[in-house]
Amino acid sequence: MADLSIQVREVDGMAVVQPEGFINAHTVRQFEGALEGLVKEGKFTILLNCQKLSYISSAGLGAIMGLIETVRENQGDILLCSLQENVFAIFDTLGFTQLYRVFGTEDEARQALAGKSE
Amino acid sequence: MKAVLDPESFRLIIPSQTRYLNLVTGLAKRASMIAGMDDATAAKVSIAVDEAITNVIMHAYGGEPDHLVEVDLRFASTALEIHIWHTGRGIRDDQVVLPDPREYVKHPRKGGLGLLLMSRFMDEVHFLEGSERNECCMIKRVG
Repeated sequence: MADLSIQVREVDGMAVVQPEGFINAHTVRQFEGALEGLVKEGKFTILLNCQKLSYISSAGLGAIMGLIETVRENQGDILLCSLQENVFAIFDTLGFTQLYRVFGTEDEARQALAGKSE
Repeated sequence: MKAVLDPESFRLIIPSQTRYLNLVTGLAKRASMIAGMDDATAAKVSIAVDEAITNVIMHAYGGEPDHLVEVDLRFASTALEIHIWHTGRGIRDDQVVLPDPREYVKHPRKGGLGLLLMSRFMDEVHFLEGSERNECCMIKRVG
């Protein structure tokens, strides 16, 4: 199995990025490249579906952090959903759960974006 | 930091390349579970190890791939000790500045989070400069 594979799809005008594997200093360029590619295409609302993400290190968090201002300046956002317990612990420990909107499931994130619920 | 007498231990030496990170973090996670930690705690230890070795590769060795990183896992009676040795640029405890997460949230920027994760996920983190090699020592107590 590859260290990291990334699936990107579009749902309701939102780019859904689903990494599978781990994101650390070894794989972060691949992750960063996927996010930067979306921003270059003008896709500023990005949902990170972390269901299959086994762990993310500070290198991966830096990649997200590096783009947050750009997407928000363009009326977009980076959202998170389906975090495994240890991945949530990493985000929460660093206060990222205050910086990013975190949802239990992809459907909840889609509904929130559609204005159906928060 | 308390010295541990005659602990059970094993040692792994890897090249200073990020491709080997997952090998060591997997080992650290399994070692944590053998030491008696639950899955969630073991995952935190493995992240701390990832961050510590990444720091050695990227900062102590400046990303140069032809050096060695030595990792020593010691099973003490009430803790798992992880010693990481290298011959690159060293730092001492008194040179470490941890970012304030509250400030980080107010003023997001890239970088500076690895040390914070290490300090939050481990019970003790120490940086020691030696005459021939430098060390990062992390301790996670069990129970």
